[in-house]
Amino acid sequence: MKIFIDPPNSLILFDLVERFGHEPLSVMATIQERVDNLEIDMPPMNVTLDDVKKGLDYAGIEVPSGIRGRLAVWGPLIDNAEAAIIMEDAPYSFGCVGCHRTNLLVDFLVRKRKLPTIEIDYPRTEEDARNMVIRVKEFLEGLE
Amino acid sequence: MVRETRLIVISPLSEITPDQITRKVHSLGYEVTVKETCYGAVLEGPPETVSKVMDELRALDPLGIYSKIRGFPLGDPKRCRAQHGSRPGFSQLQTEWQSLSLVEKGLECAMRGEKAETKDVPDRIPVKDLQRFCEEVE
Repeated sequence: MKIFIDPPNSLILFDLVERFGHEPLSVMATIQERVDNLEIDMPPMNVTLDDVKKGLDYAGIEVPSGIRGRLAVWGPLIDNAEAAIIMEDAPYSFGCVGCHRTNLLVDFLVRKRKLPTIEIDYPRTEEDARNMVIRVKEFLEGLE
Repeated sequence: MVRETRLIVISPLSEITPDQITRKVHSLGYEVTVKETCYGAVLEGPPETVSKVMDELRALDPLGIYSKIRGFPLGDPKRCRAQHGSRPGFSQLQTEWQSLSLVEKGLECAMRGEKAETKDVPDRIPVKDLQRFCEEVE
């Protein structure tokens, strides 16, 4: 099954989803399509002009352009997903390398689609990690 | 040609070294490109071949080797630090690399068939109760 992972570039989630036999939908694959098709040969841009319009499918015009740009890339992944894993409080999804408003909108879009979803916390202790991995394993093995 | 580029990241607890990874890839004789890095290696080639190589590499240390795909190809001037690429981010990978030791412990428990501990999460207040509280305050 196609599993949307949030954060969509997470190494931990990507590896776990693959390890337990499913297909992770990640932002890296989407970026690869753009890189290989030479659509974003203009550093530091990561989106194309079409993406700017596509972003409006997921967020209103009054929403900051950074959020719309992110959603233009992440939104189609949510549309194609059959299940989702949301990792809360990942340290790199907030601050200069992330965008909390986008995270909130992504959570909203996933819930709106009523996908089978599991919400886990970023592991900070061994006990957290143990619970996280076991819950992810049980969730992925339970999907049909 | 369709390509797949993969980051191979070695957990801090693993005894495998990036050098062992690259030597193993070379010894397999597949038509893939591999580059040794501080966190593991970057592997690039046709998707089917990369998948075969990944299976061989995971066998070296099943719980200590992690991977994800990468959007940019090996040595892409838009990304490569050696050529002052404009996207030199490493902070996320560094953070996740540090957490891999925890994930590895978690995987060990999951493979042993342990069950997750359930925490008692208090139920949300029903809307009617919340309304009643608000009216009482007014």
